[in-house]
Amino acid sequence: MRLHKYILSCVLICATAFTSNAQSDTTDGILKSATMGLEYEINAGINIGGSAPIPIPGEIRDILHYGPGLNLSIGASITKWISNDKKWGVSIMPRFDTKGMQTKAQTKNYGMAIIRDGNEVSGNWTGKVSTKYRAGTFTLPIVAVYRINSRWKVNAGPYVSAVFNKEFSGYVYDGYLREGNPTGNKVVFEGDSQAPYDFSDELRTFQWGLQAGASWRAFNHLCVQANLSWGLNDIFKSSFKTVTFPLYPIYLNLGFGYAF
Amino acid sequence: MKLLLANSSAVLLYVFSAVSALFMSSCEGEPLNAECDIVTASLSGNVLIREPIIENDKVTFIVKNGTDRSALAPEFTITPGATIEPPSGTVRDFTMPQTYIVTSEDRKWHKEYTVSASYITISLQYDFEHVRLEETNNSKFEVFYEVGIDGKETLTWASGNAGFALTGMAIGKPTDVFPTYQISDGKSGRAVAMTTRLTGPFGAMVNKPIASGSLFLGQFDLATALSKPLEATRFGIPFSRVPLYIKGQFKYIPGETYMELDKSEATKLRPVEGKTDECNIYAVFFETTPGMEYLDGTNVMAEYNQNIVAIAALTPEERTATSDWRAFDLPFKYRPGKTVDMEKLANGDYSITICFASSIDGDFFCGAPGSTLIVDEVELICYE
Repeated sequence: MRLHKYILSCVLICATAFTSNAQSDTTDGILKSATMGLEYEINAGINIGGSAPIPIPGEIRDILHYGPGLNLSIGASITKWISNDKKWGVSIMPRFDTKGMQTKAQTKNYGMAIIRDGNEVSGNWTGKVSTKYRAGTFTLPIVAVYRINSRWKVNAGPYVSAVFNKEFSGYVYDGYLREGNPTGNKVVFEGDSQAPYDFSDELRTFQWGLQAGASWRAFNHLCVQANLSWGLNDIFKSSFKTVTFPLYPIYLNLGFGYAF
Repeated sequence: MKLLLANSSAVLLYVFSAVSALFMSSCEGEPLNAECDIVTASLSGNVLIREPIIENDKVTFIVKNGTDRSALAPEFTITPGATIEPPSGTVRDFTMPQTYIVTSEDRKWHKEYTVSASYITISLQYDFEHVRLEETNNSKFEVFYEVGIDGKETLTWASGNAGFALTGMAIGKPTDVFPTYQISDGKSGRAVAMTTRLTGPFGAMVNKPIASGSLFLGQFDLATALSKPLEATRFGIPFSRVPLYIKGQFKYIPGETYMELDKSEATKLRPVEGKTDECNIYAVFFETTPGMEYLDGTNVMAEYNQNIVAIAALTPEERTATSDWRAFDLPFKYRPGKTVDMEKLANGDYSITICFASSIDGDFFCGAPGSTLIVDEVELICYE
């Protein structure tokens, strides 16, 4: 089922890229830009990855389930070739993307706060945790580009992201809470007693990190791309202490680009 | 970078495997245990009349009359990797409660346990004059206890207050927002008041939208309060007399609207037209046997329960509203064929519980929020 979804989305993405082909092939503007050493590209793709602690802390004993979800990205890139041989350049690659994942994990002594409309019970959770993470981001990478040959380009550089539509929520089940800290009262959740948590408001609206990737020109205008973006700040605000370890968004973007 | 380019078709695979390899190799080992619990407790020499009662920071041994408490060597098992000081098996004088400190395997946490060994204490009069504060989830609530003529504590009453504390409804609030609390204008001196409370969004979330005020002889097990609420109320304390009557004074004002648990509603409650809440006052005298050291919400009044010897309870007519003090005098009705074995009685093989509740169906999270039961001057009358 899931695989079908991906295939379908890839087809859709290709279609999008090809349709835009028809709209603006070789206009004067683009020719002019080309003579100035500028190159344009639009692209679309999918993000696969997660927001993960590096290294995965001991509190997370086992990942029981991981679902990458369907995360799409759409963007453009503008490259300014700096060297005369057009080997070195700088690109800005603005893109909108969604990043998400769903996990189920077995934890031991994991910091947790169950909050319902301001009423809270917090402590240390040993048991299962189901988590859903979703964020829409506008990302602006500024990268150095190096053209290896007529087909291959590689890029690397920093990016900044503005995060909107953020969600980090889930529920705990099949385990017990030590209320307050590991010496506190034990409260068992089992059977149909589970407790939701929602840390969405604790997510940052600004992320930054590094991106590196490669692009391979399959046809004259069409290229296949892979970019790994590696977040370098915790997805949570620094004032948020319940999850005791930082989580970094790490996503691989696979997609197609159309070069004008 | 060059390496990546060497084999063009495998680039994506490289990236994939690099990322997954990084994740796989970056898991930290299992952390050391942070908990520091006494898990089991025992005393050698067949001196116990009940299984030890282990709470979060307290262990109670109830020993046979005549047991020499000045030299007991209790043995404990604790959270794996934790240490206990003084060690399990140390001979100590338990004529006074003793302190043990359990330190977690990761050495970051420790917990002080009060361990006591007591004989059956018989307390027949309950005046609800004494409370101490306990804290759970940053909420302070009152715990009732009785003292004997020598001023020493004879028994502690249990209530569901710790469960209510979990809901967060009482954080930073006075003790009288709890379902069970002390009031100053009793029949004589102070009294216990029990009020059925709404448990707010947290309570609704866990399908426990109301909490009946309650007070009973036994233990409230917070650990199972959410998952198996009926089993969280453990009824009974050892008792070596034959009860005849329970009497006392009460006032009862039922809340305005009787509510029923309805999991399909957002509040998990549905009003029931024309139904008036009732309070409950009862006492159960029962035999303890291995596997049934205490009764719980599933079986405390059950017809089929062979351990029950006698029950005293308010009649339906008596469970109604009264804004003036109403006296109750309830005979223990012995079940057909049940007699008291005097030898077992002397050995401590019988228990008693006394229960008060502001909503009779509170066990099932039904009742009228605001229903208030006030009880004072309770006394058990026994055979001489």
